[in-house]
Amino acid sequence: MTLRLGLIFSTTGSYAALGQGALAGALGAIEALKDTVEIEPSICDPGGDVTRYESMASELLDDGVRHIVGAITSWSRKEMIPVLERKDGLLWYPCPYEGFECNDHVVYLGAAPNHHVVPAIDWIADSGMRSAYLVGSNYVWGWETLRLARDRLQAAGVEIVGERYVPLGSTEHAHVVEEIVATGADCVCNSLIGPSNSTFLRDLMARDPARRGRDGHVVSFNQTEADLDTLGSAADGLLSAGAFFEEDADPALVDAAARFAPNARVSAFLASAYAAVEIFAAAARTAGTDAPRKVFAAASAHPHLTAMGEMRIDPVMRHAALAPRLALAKDGAFRVIDRAPATIPADPYLAHQRQADRPRRPNLKVVT
Amino acid sequence: MTQFPLHNFAGLTALVLHRSEEPVRRVVERCDRLGIRAIPHTGDLDLGTAEQADMIILDIDTGHDGQLPWDAGRAPVPLIGLIGSESPGRLAWALGQGVDAYLPLSALGNLFSALVIAHETFARKTQRSEQDRDVARQRAGRLDVIRAVLALMPDCGDEALALKQLRAMAMVEQISLEDAAARLLTERQPSRMGG
Repeated sequence: MTLRLGLIFSTTGSYAALGQGALAGALGAIEALKDTVEIEPSICDPGGDVTRYESMASELLDDGVRHIVGAITSWSRKEMIPVLERKDGLLWYPCPYEGFECNDHVVYLGAAPNHHVVPAIDWIADSGMRSAYLVGSNYVWGWETLRLARDRLQAAGVEIVGERYVPLGSTEHAHVVEEIVATGADCVCNSLIGPSNSTFLRDLMARDPARRGRDGHVVSFNQTEADLDTLGSAADGLLSAGAFFEEDADPALVDAAARFAPNARVSAFLASAYAAVEIFAAAARTAGTDAPRKVFAAASAHPHLTAMGEMRIDPVMRHAALAPRLALAKDGAFRVIDRAPATIPADPYLAHQRQADRPRRPNLKVVT
Repeated sequence: MTQFPLHNFAGLTALVLHRSEEPVRRVVERCDRLGIRAIPHTGDLDLGTAEQADMIILDIDTGHDGQLPWDAGRAPVPLIGLIGSESPGRLAWALGQGVDAYLPLSALGNLFSALVIAHETFARKTQRSEQDRDVARQRAGRLDVIRAVLALMPDCGDEALALKQLRAMAMVEQISLEDAAARLLTERQPSRMGG
């Protein structure tokens, strides 16, 4: 049978690099699976314009497409949900997001906050840094990740010396850089995306070169290889938390990146979109139909072996279990410094998190 | 800084009052993911069982006053109403019971929002009841204030100075004017009786 699949990613516009990475992953998987299942993609590019996602999804669903892999930002995902509900579609969302959502028409394959914010903040607290500055793009990703970061940092005894939000896509952040320099924050938690992120990091490094290369002086919950090149050496020392980094890529992902990604980089966006197509295809074959509920039931019935490793989707909360990793950027690549030994179920409402039990006691031993 | 409502329910217990197996199963498994121990309950409820839970999730379609061991609107814990039918009669019953948050059965994915709203609404309702009790108590104490002013007038000269004196006593003791009046009258009572 031929499966139809909508791919809605902004491959132009302010966060095009992320969309290009995710689209490359989906196309790579479609190509790799062509001998076992034929998937006919319908590719849409909203150009980073949030108002276009709903209409594009609506047109695809009216045309008989039942499944969409797509959306980068939470804003765009939330724009599509009402039409998915109305016209019975299923969105396979492959991006890290801020949690606090569990919709019956979405499968969440990216990292949830217990996969990114929690391990990153615990790393900051463990590193001995005493003060943090929070900066994010002015929409739900920035608001919610930084709220979680603030709560957890304060619980760990790390002082929050400033918190600012800049409009999505804005590169006006001189005041933020000046505040960071003035406060001398040990660490900057950075939830900016797209050009806001790249220009901010370059400006911060130019204004405060002493920070350069110090491990974890900037922490991100979603920085990947998809747009790492745009940061140049300003990324050196940046710590990122995520569910996948390039050094763990198997040949299938490397091949997908080489063939379909303009920058030929494997990122969590690419890997998750690749896995989304693999699981969708396997589940639709098992179900013998593309009816969204039956496909989801098959997708969540048992773990699936994907290019990212074995993935289990919780049938109730609809999120993937993932193995979080922490990685440091250096010379244009991420080096993983900590890797969970096994996958961890997503906890999108952070219902099962123990508060960081810090300030930790000093690691002392008796010397005789 | 924004004050966030209660949004972590881990370790709490919910009673689920619903006759149908499928909705109960879905509510219980979703509660489980939020760290809540959900206990299905059928038939009428006794007050002890209700008070041991942290919240009650109930079916509005089949709910009735006799099922619940309290006067309408006086539930001891937050109530979350599951909407099946949207008939005005059923909604009127739920409103009369003071259900704190509503959730259509078709939207169980939004259970978290309903829990946050229910607990916050219940907390505010409780706070408002306490304020109402304070106001009622103050009103009931007005006569004591008049009596206390009259009792102080011989020493103070006129009613304005007597009231000022009473206010000063309340301020020093950090109690309400009505409580100061009641205290003064109590303290003066033995001497009046003895004199």
